[in-house]
Amino acid sequence: MKNMKKSLQAYGTLLALAIIILVFSILRPAAFFTVRNFINISRQISLMVIISIGATLVMSINEFDLSVGSMASLGGVMSALMAVNGLPLPLCFLLPILISLVIGWINGWIVAKFKVLSFITTLGMSTVLSGVIYRLTGGATVFQNIPKGFSWLGTFKIGEIPLLSVIMLAFVVLFGFIMRHTVLGRRLYAIGGNEETSKVAGINVPLYKNIAFALCAVLSCITGMLIASRVGSANTTAGDGYFLSSYAAVFIGCTVSKKGIPNVLGTLVGCAILGILTNGLTMLQMPTYMQDIITGAIIIFAVIMQKLGKGNAN
Amino acid sequence: MLLQTKHLSKQFNGIYALRDINFSLEAGEVHGLVGENGAGKSTLIKILTGVYSLEEGEVLWNGQPVQLHTPVESRRIGISVIHQDRTLVPTFTGIENAYLGMAYPCKGGRVDWKEMRRRVSETAQALGIELDLNKMAAEMSPPQRTCLEIVRAMMNECKLLILDEPTASLTDKESELLFGIIDTLKSKGTAILYVTHRMDEIFRLTDRITIFKNGEMVETVWTKDTDKDSLIGKMTDNWSAETIASSRRMGEELLRAEHIQSKDGIVKDASLSVHAGEILGVFGLGGSGRTELLECIYGYRPMQGGQVMLKGKKEENLTPGKAIRKGLALISEDRRGKALIGNLAIRENVALSCLGDFAAGGVISGKKEREAVSAMVKRLQVKMASEEQRAIELSGGNQQKVVFAKTLMTHPQVFLCDEPTQAVDVMTRAEIHRLLREQADQGCGVVFMSSDLKEVMEIADRIQIISGGRSRELLENDGITSQQVLACCYHQ
Repeated sequence: MKNMKKSLQAYGTLLALAIIILVFSILRPAAFFTVRNFINISRQISLMVIISIGATLVMSINEFDLSVGSMASLGGVMSALMAVNGLPLPLCFLLPILISLVIGWINGWIVAKFKVLSFITTLGMSTVLSGVIYRLTGGATVFQNIPKGFSWLGTFKIGEIPLLSVIMLAFVVLFGFIMRHTVLGRRLYAIGGNEETSKVAGINVPLYKNIAFALCAVLSCITGMLIASRVGSANTTAGDGYFLSSYAAVFIGCTVSKKGIPNVLGTLVGCAILGILTNGLTMLQMPTYMQDIITGAIIIFAVIMQKLGKGNAN
Repeated sequence: MLLQTKHLSKQFNGIYALRDINFSLEAGEVHGLVGENGAGKSTLIKILTGVYSLEEGEVLWNGQPVQLHTPVESRRIGISVIHQDRTLVPTFTGIENAYLGMAYPCKGGRVDWKEMRRRVSETAQALGIELDLNKMAAEMSPPQRTCLEIVRAMMNECKLLILDEPTASLTDKESELLFGIIDTLKSKGTAILYVTHRMDEIFRLTDRITIFKNGEMVETVWTKDTDKDSLIGKMTDNWSAETIASSRRMGEELLRAEHIQSKDGIVKDASLSVHAGEILGVFGLGGSGRTELLECIYGYRPMQGGQVMLKGKKEENLTPGKAIRKGLALISEDRRGKALIGNLAIRENVALSCLGDFAAGGVISGKKEREAVSAMVKRLQVKMASEEQRAIELSGGNQQKVVFAKTLMTHPQVFLCDEPTQAVDVMTRAEIHRLLREQADQGCGVVFMSSDLKEVMEIADRIQIISGGRSRELLENDGITSQQVLACCYHQ
């Protein structure tokens, strides 16, 4: 009994994923369970995965970044505007990354220096960024005079496989490795586990908080630029919708880890669950409000599971 | 007799914290309660205030047996306590705090603030306490907060007021104010149980004094019939360690801390010096600032003044990271809060401070790490299922071994140990003692801080006394007695 409970905790989420796939395969065998559809799903979730990895980093130090959505929107807008104004394309993607790095660093600096709640700090930052977006665009979508090459990243395919899916995979591998096998990753988890112990152990806690927030902002920005590149225009609120689902994915991901902590692979699983649900429910012609209800319920369930999985630690 | 305990005992995990206490208290007297750390004073207070349940013996209140299962029940019959760490709600005003845990008076379904204000200021006036009751507790000074707590205690009819180290955070002048209030309370017939380490206050305030030792009650004496020395004598078995080889040679001075002053004012002016090859015991009573002193030296707690010198070289702006690189190590007394990450694996905990040793270009070599961690946990004989087990799942003794393993990985020159054997089993305790002695023999310096005087005298070569945030005598642990050590703590 105890063993069953344990393995349910460890593999329950993966089991849920398998069941979801199974159910949709039975209900829509011809359309759902095909290579083509899975390639399609991988592209659909690719953007969410990248932004969710950012959220994973910040959550690994036990903080929140509520500005991921508006950071993504700003990333798209900045990069599109630069392209419109004739900057060389590589710069249109590099400069916003640098700017987002600074913004994220400021987030982390405020949180670490003044010991304020990251929740509120980044909520404030999110509002500031929305204001900046409005100042840049006047509230209108940027779509005129965008050079053709701008859309390459978001639409190119290698054979049948979208470049976006490949980029996503690269980020998963890179950050999966960083969190597991590097000094940086281990120190982030240490801070998330116990900040005071980390301090006594000689870890420069403020520095690593800055790094986590900065990387999160960069990944959000990249997501936003890829959204803009994919649709060939930059909507002023394109990234906002990603905020909630990215945290949902991280929480679901926590349940995949035995320690109940945020982890990149788990986040990928979380995104897959949410993405496949959307894909399958749409195929079943489920109305959007039902999709919302089901997705929301799964998020709540995942948070409860994450709490249970953590057990009595500290 | 207002309060009497009969054959009162209390066990924790089969060990007696209190044994067969027959204690009595009269209405209108100020009764002092003294004893070393761990003598059982706090346990008695917690039983009287309903925090701990009573298992053996009985408590008589005005001659009638009473059951005190919860703090509310205890307060209802008229027992109130004021702890050294205050229990006010910072954002509530004086009036709201005074009414904490009491029913608010209502008029027509609304809170009757006027009536509340009237009753609180009445109580305050009767005690001669002047206080702006509209201020939030957070805005009040420490003595004002103490006054507010007393007002709160007296809101109900309080027949016994327990004061637990009430002057710990007060200046002398502020203490005088408190003493005045105590006199007023006494003249109104309220009994006071006064718990403190400060002898001057005991002799200034009390009518009678009860002495506790090792969980037992030694006796109750009239204050006018006794003096400091005989009191201290009764608080300790006059115990002296077997002389530790005094021929131990001390090497160069590894650490010297001078006139350390912490920003929060807890450490006022403390110095200590550790040489290679020695175990320096540091002893101080509760609230003496000993923990804070070590944290200052280690660069963890902000300092206001003073300097730290390592091997004769002055160190500016030490941070824990820098301290570790310079060969310092801190074993914190707060194991779960500052020394372990419960949710992470044993391996990750042990490697926490020395990840750089296994990494090239920021990437950790898993093999090197596992080998080093394995060797270390084997050396310290940590009992565990595997190195991947979460640290929180280990027993207290094994958790502490993991903390030591982490520390040894950084090859420290000076160990700052704060209660290193707290809540560990007897076996581990002996192993930790042996380990520290080994390290000292190999040329390290060890600071050993414990609230258990016996333990300090067992292991230390010299003993530095800390009291009231200041360093006092430095004693050679060579034939000295526990009574001499305690006398240094009390004679300020």
